Amino acid sequence: MSSPVAAPHDTYPPLPPPVAPVAAPRPPKRPVLALVLGGAFPGVGQLYNGQTAKALALFAAFAAAIYLADEVGMPFNLVIPFVVFYSAIDAYRSAVAINLRWSGRPAIVETEDDAESPAWGIVLLGIGVLLLMNNLGILQVGAVRRFWPLLLIVAGAMFLRRSLQRRDAAATVTPRSEDGPAV
Amino acid sequence: MAQPFKPETLVLGLTLIVVGVLWTLANHGSIDLLGTLRRWWPATLVLWGTLELYGSYADRRAGGPQ
Repeated sequence: MSSPVAAPHDTYPPLPPPVAPVAAPRPPKRPVLALVLGGAFPGVGQLYNGQTAKALALFAAFAAAIYLADEVGMPFNLVIPFVVFYSAIDAYRSAVAINLRWSGRPAIVETEDDAESPAWGIVLLGIGVLLLMNNLGILQVGAVRRFWPLLLIVAGAMFLRRSLQRRDAAATVTPRSEDGPAV
Repeated sequence: MAQPFKPETLVLGLTLIVVGVLWTLANHGSIDLLGTLRRWWPATLVLWGTLELYGSYADRRAGGPQ
């Protein structure tokens, strides 16, 4: 294959004098590293992203999933890989969202910013209260053997609340993307 | 825009203070350090979650995180 004839170099204008190379500022997070860390151990990618509360909540979810898989069995065996994948993918998406915000681009998802969402605080608070009650003898966490389906109710309530929030937001704000990256 | 509220340092500081007080008491023989910690450590999570909630609402009042 013959290459096309290139224009002779001396027809170009002279190059401008060399400038000291300006290192393009690197975005603060590496999404792939966040993905790998988050998948290696739940919560580590979130630590890398600086989301300590979310990291702690994911670690607690991981520990709880292992405990429940041992105590209860089947549905919770599948929760373990779910937590791992959730951690990896969430860390990746959060890193991308952090980079987006850092770059100053108007983030489409600004209105549903999970980084500052109270959800992770609520999770930590709830776990703390449960464990405290367990330690003080008010409640037996071991009773999850029978009461674990309550978790489904809690999850359902959270989804309902979120859906209502979205409807309210859509009613007041201009339509926006539903599936952008969320921190 | 103000820095978003970060509870980590606050939690660490308060936890260290509490552990220091408990340890001092234990050295004087007043309490059982390990037993107390084993029973009460989830209070750290409660504190953290509360601060996280507070920070979330404080940021929201301040006009959203930036």
